[in-house]
Amino acid sequence: MAVEARSGEVMQGMLDLLILKVLSLGPNHGWGISQRLQQLSRERFQVNQGSLYPALQRLARRGWVSSHWGTSDNNRRARFYRLTREGERQLDAETEGWAIFRSAVERVLAATPG
Amino acid sequence: MEEELAFHLDMETERGIADGLAPEEARRRARARFGALDGAREGVRDERGTGLAVDLARDLGLTVRSLRRSPGFTLAVVLTLALGLGAASAVFSVVDGVLLRPMPFPEPEELLVVWETDRDGGTRREPASVPDFLDFRERARSLEALAAFRAAQVNVARRDADPERVDAVGASHGLMRVLGVRPLHGRSLGPEDDRPGAPAVALLGEGYWRRALGADAGAVGSEIVVDEIPATVVGVLPSSAGYGLRQVLSAADYGGTLTERGEVDVWLSLQPDPVASPRITHPIVLLGRRAEQTSTAEVEAELSAVAADLEREYPENADRGVHVEPLREVVVGPLRRPLAVLLAAVALVLLVACVNVAHLLLARGAARRRETAVRRALGAGDGQLLRHFLVETGVLTGLALAAGLGLAAVALRAARALAPSDLPGMGSLALDPRAVLASVAVAGAIALVFGIVPWVQARVQRAPASLGSREVGAGGGGPARGSRSWLVVVELALAVTLTIGAGLMLRSFWNLLHVDAGFATRGVVKAELRLPQSRYPRDFAVWPDWREIHRFHGEVRERVAALPEVERVALAAAHPLDRGFTNSFAVVGREAEATDWPEIRVRQVGPEYLAVLRVPVLAGRGLREGDRAGRPRVALVNRTAADRFFTVGSPVGQEVSMWGQTWRLVGVVGDERIHGLEEPAPPALYVPLAQAPSERAVVLARGGDPETIVEALPGAIRAADPGLAPFGVEPLARTVAGSVARTRFVMALLAVFAALALLLAAMGVHGLLAYRVALRIPEIGVRMALGAVRRDVFGLIVREGLALAVAGLVFGALGGVLAGRLLGGMVFGVDGDDPLTWSAVVGAVLAAAVLATLAPARRAAGAEPLQVLRME
Repeated sequence: MAVEARSGEVMQGMLDLLILKVLSLGPNHGWGISQRLQQLSRERFQVNQGSLYPALQRLARRGWVSSHWGTSDNNRRARFYRLTREGERQLDAETEGWAIFRSAVERVLAATPG
Repeated sequence: MEEELAFHLDMETERGIADGLAPEEARRRARARFGALDGAREGVRDERGTGLAVDLARDLGLTVRSLRRSPGFTLAVVLTLALGLGAASAVFSVVDGVLLRPMPFPEPEELLVVWETDRDGGTRREPASVPDFLDFRERARSLEALAAFRAAQVNVARRDADPERVDAVGASHGLMRVLGVRPLHGRSLGPEDDRPGAPAVALLGEGYWRRALGADAGAVGSEIVVDEIPATVVGVLPSSAGYGLRQVLSAADYGGTLTERGEVDVWLSLQPDPVASPRITHPIVLLGRRAEQTSTAEVEAELSAVAADLEREYPENADRGVHVEPLREVVVGPLRRPLAVLLAAVALVLLVACVNVAHLLLARGAARRRETAVRRALGAGDGQLLRHFLVETGVLTGLALAAGLGLAAVALRAARALAPSDLPGMGSLALDPRAVLASVAVAGAIALVFGIVPWVQARVQRAPASLGSREVGAGGGGPARGSRSWLVVVELALAVTLTIGAGLMLRSFWNLLHVDAGFATRGVVKAELRLPQSRYPRDFAVWPDWREIHRFHGEVRERVAALPEVERVALAAAHPLDRGFTNSFAVVGREAEATDWPEIRVRQVGPEYLAVLRVPVLAGRGLREGDRAGRPRVALVNRTAADRFFTVGSPVGQEVSMWGQTWRLVGVVGDERIHGLEEPAPPALYVPLAQAPSERAVVLARGGDPETIVEALPGAIRAADPGLAPFGVEPLARTVAGSVARTRFVMALLAVFAALALLLAAMGVHGLLAYRVALRIPEIGVRMALGAVRRDVFGLIVREGLALAVAGLVFGALGGVLAGRLLGGMVFGVDGDDPLTWSAVVGAVLAAAVLATLAPARRAAGAEPLQVLRME
């Protein structure tokens, strides 16, 4: 699965959303994104790198992220990704969609017999 | 990308080291954490889609392998499409070469033919008179240039060469300027050459120059003798200069024309002389180039106004007007209909071929349902599936196109040999680049449609259930079967339509050849002559007493009659298919009526003409030896003339006035189809050659073996006068056949297409039935186990085939009616609903369908019930 969590499986589309969010915090390279995700999710999310890069490609192809080569903190050459205008808009839209989804699930789960 | 992944790996490794692991350990964990490196690579690549070329290559390999595994299918599809595409590209080449190719002149759409019209006679394409031409040229502002020309056959003699009969055009000096043609060598005609009485000059046509003088540049400046008159060669003109002239001359209502070759061998100065050629005669045709920014209508308006002025000034121009047409219209206009018919026919053949292929593809698609389902399960996206199908159909169509183009090239070469030469551009008929492009486009469209259809089919079967379904192997399915039956019905209908069209044309041609021409063609050979002025002076003061001509007539008759192969010989001024000329005439005592009468065809014939050509005498008598110069003038009329002008009482005994003299009618003869087999005979007046001699002579010799006569005749004629050059020496039957050459050509093509279409349709019926039978083997097995006899099964299959055939016939009948209407004026002597044609077609189609059902039916009947049931 794209994103594994100890609590269960998460859909592939989530990965796109999470990557967009991480990049909204600042441009980063692939490894940095995966570290940040782990960190932000309190080690719950470990990104399968085999899915990370294809996801980044997908996002780039859709025009939500753009990339450029740069130098990392330890002076190594790395490819950096950053959010584009459309990416920002997409992030907002997906965040909202996620909120609606989550509240709907919660409402269903909160139903009591009777 | 590699660098990016390497960076990630390194960072992860460092992390591991920082966590306290040994470097290799760290590296190993990093790798493991990374997941399948290759998976990452592949995933990126997939998302990136850069592998399009790689994917295509892979699809290509798969396709080739799968096609090679089913050679029968591949061969059937490629062959079928090749036939259709080949026929299409051949016809495209013809249409492009003849109709669409621009004329070999600069700004060709500016070129116009200026005809004169006769309001009284209702003619619209008459040649003009010399004084009219000079007036138009002077007064017209809407024309940039105007020129005149006429054509004739002339004797040309060069030093140390036999005299030859060639095609010549006399042109005014402006013609090359009008056409925009420059000479290959030397110079063009100039205004000083055009003055009456100027020294004679000639230009050689490119073809003649290459053929007779070996493209010798030294020809310019040499002397040739044209009809006994010496002329200096001043230049060589390219072949393109003569483009379309023959068609224009043929389109004219009367006048001399070039022979079928359509090439101009020698160009001479017209030297238009209003004195020698007054306003009353109309020997020349006018070609003009309209001025920039002017329209054809404006030119016609201006010239009509000039014509009206001339009408007022000169009584000879009474009722004469002007009609202007674009040159292209005159040259290719008459070809539009036959070419449209050809295009329609080839479209039908292509459709039939496509239907066959569609059928084959659908069958294959159904059989490959399992394969497609597996692909989908393995994750093939819609796009990838479509690409795969398109590659497959692309390969098939590509192969078919290559094969088809090869077929077309061969066919065109054959057509070049067989086609009538009077189609412009026919000589250079070859596979045309634009036609090839059009064929590629058609092939591409076919590939596209055929690629999408199985893809749609595959999408419809998304459900994974198809993997487990047993039907997959058999590839059956109720609705699919029904649609395939309809395909075959459509195919049959198309083939029937085509066959009906071809059948109508066949009957037309048969009728044409067997129509009563009015004169005998078998066993008669003609040889044409022109008696040059120098040795056969034509002094109109003593006409008809032209001694030298009469003497020649007698002598050549004797010599030819002496030939062993010749039974009888006759002389005339023109052979039966030579229109000759018309003249105005009146019946003595009814002159007032005659002012409304059209001119009558005048035939100058010797006394044995009627006997040699077996033209029957219907009343009175024929012409006799005694009807000579100095004796009372006699004449005959043909039946059409008798019916037209002599409604009350017999024409025999009445008198006719013509050429200022009276002629007593002594007989009525049968009609000769002078205007060609396809048209009714015109009214004609026959006068004795001895009483109305001409500088033209035709020797008509009848005998048992025309070929030997053809060889011996010129010799006998030259024995009478060595300086003559007989031309057009051929059996009359060949002249007649040549006159219907165009119809014959179209008919032959249509027949080929119809045969092709019928063959393809029969294959389609056979294929469908064979398929159906294969599907129904289990059912048949059950039937037989339940007591059905072989004969029942056989009959069942054959009945099915016939049902399809009948359905196809019904729809084909509708198509046939449309075909009949499209052919319209091209058919001769048959109606669109000719019963003989229709019954023949119905019979042929039914027979073909029955034949196609026999094999599958036999196979069905031969199935062993136990064996079949065991297959379950």
